[in-house]
Amino acid sequence: MDEVATKIIEILKKHMKEPRDDIGLQTALTDLKIESLDLAMIVFDIEDTFGIEIPYNANEDVEDFKTVGSVVERVKSLMADGPAAAKA
Amino acid sequence: MAKPNGARRVVVTGMGVVSPIGTTVDEFWAGMRASKSGVSAIEGFPPEDLKVLIAAQIKGFDHRARLRHFQRDKIIMHADRYSWFAAAAADEAVKMAGLNVPFDDPYRAACIIGSGAGGLVTFEKAYRDLFIENKRATHPLTLLRIIGSSASAHVGIEFGIKGPTFATCSACSTATHAIGVARDYIQHGMVDVAVCGASESVINYGTMKAWQALHVLSPEGIFPFSKKRNGTVLGEGAGILVLEELEHAKARGAKILCELVGYGMTSDAKDMVNPGIEGPREAMRLALEEAGIPGTEIEYLNAHGTATAINDENETNAIKDLYGKHAYNLAISSTKSMHGHPLGAGGGLEAVACIKAMEENWVPPTIGLDDPDPKCDLDYVPNVGRNLQVNYTMSNSFAFGGLNTALVFGPSPV
Repeated sequence: MDEVATKIIEILKKHMKEPRDDIGLQTALTDLKIESLDLAMIVFDIEDTFGIEIPYNANEDVEDFKTVGSVVERVKSLMADGPAAAKA
Repeated sequence: MAKPNGARRVVVTGMGVVSPIGTTVDEFWAGMRASKSGVSAIEGFPPEDLKVLIAAQIKGFDHRARLRHFQRDKIIMHADRYSWFAAAAADEAVKMAGLNVPFDDPYRAACIIGSGAGGLVTFEKAYRDLFIENKRATHPLTLLRIIGSSASAHVGIEFGIKGPTFATCSACSTATHAIGVARDYIQHGMVDVAVCGASESVINYGTMKAWQALHVLSPEGIFPFSKKRNGTVLGEGAGILVLEELEHAKARGAKILCELVGYGMTSDAKDMVNPGIEGPREAMRLALEEAGIPGTEIEYLNAHGTATAINDENETNAIKDLYGKHAYNLAISSTKSMHGHPLGAGGGLEAVACIKAMEENWVPPTIGLDDPDPKCDLDYVPNVGRNLQVNYTMSNSFAFGGLNTALVFGPSPV
């Protein structure tokens, strides 16, 4: 697992009531019992950690956040776009 | 047994307090017994250019320890300090009342916990982050921490209260309004139990600057009714009561602390900062009238007593206007001399002081009162408390804007 994935999993564990050690890229976020407020804090932490802005609205179902792997991919693409693109 | 007019009777079965002189009812009361002052040099943030460098802050309050056992409210640990105070005080009050958690009949319970200003400390931090630190966003919980109803919501979630749940907001009368409204809901049959009071935690740079600009803070200390008084001292904390309909309390074998027999509220409708005599007098009179007792039955009066030049003289005059000669027989004290002025929470802390005074037949003092103002010539129980048979007490809360409230507590009917 690369550095981005490792850091994201660390952030997820930080916000879980009962952190697990078996989180992989295939793990669905729904399996982690993350609630909407936790998700807002996770997004905030990820943005701070990687210096990006994730376009995300708590009112919408977000395809990008289905699995840990999809979050990692989204973060990587936002990092590649650079801060300016993230604001769009 | 209802009152002669058919009204349901409302009793107090639990109380909780978090204050600068003690963070439980027992500690708070021991502080009063020891004439303790909660005022000290400001800590927790750089004072920068502040001229007033004292406050009555709560030191050593460990929210993690106090709220660790919370089961239902998952977010309390991330809440604003004012919500922590409310949660800790409510927890103590509910435990004292011996109520099951979650509440047995949740829609027949109310949770009315006010705050003068909500999460102001969070507010300031968020604005510092945005405007000074140039951070890209506020913390995701900023909004939930700030809103003035968050304390009532947190407490309602933890205890499973599903009836009327909201905050009151009336500056320094906030807690007393909350207790009064909760009392009305029980008396009128909407609910049987209520967790009510207020919480406040606003001591930060911006708040100090705002109060300083109004020129009502003392740089030296809080000395109600004294000749040397020169302003109030900001405090913080929470005071919460569990109110209950009398038969409901009896049916579950609860220990009844006292009865809330009267409540009065008025507004001066005159001036934001200059109080009148009439408004406070009428609030006290309405509370007595509802209690159905003459003023001579009141032995102890917990004054609003902020130690501003205007309030203490005006309150003294209002007391004289209502009580006549009995004003000179009343034991009156401003416990703010010890716990500072916790703004919206004041009436909550002071209700607890009144109930303890009845429980122990001992009235708390007004400390720092060696040389009274000649215009304040009543018995303010100077410097040390004293033994006194107390059957009825009155608690006054008067707020900026001329918003006046008074409560009367009497002996348990059983």
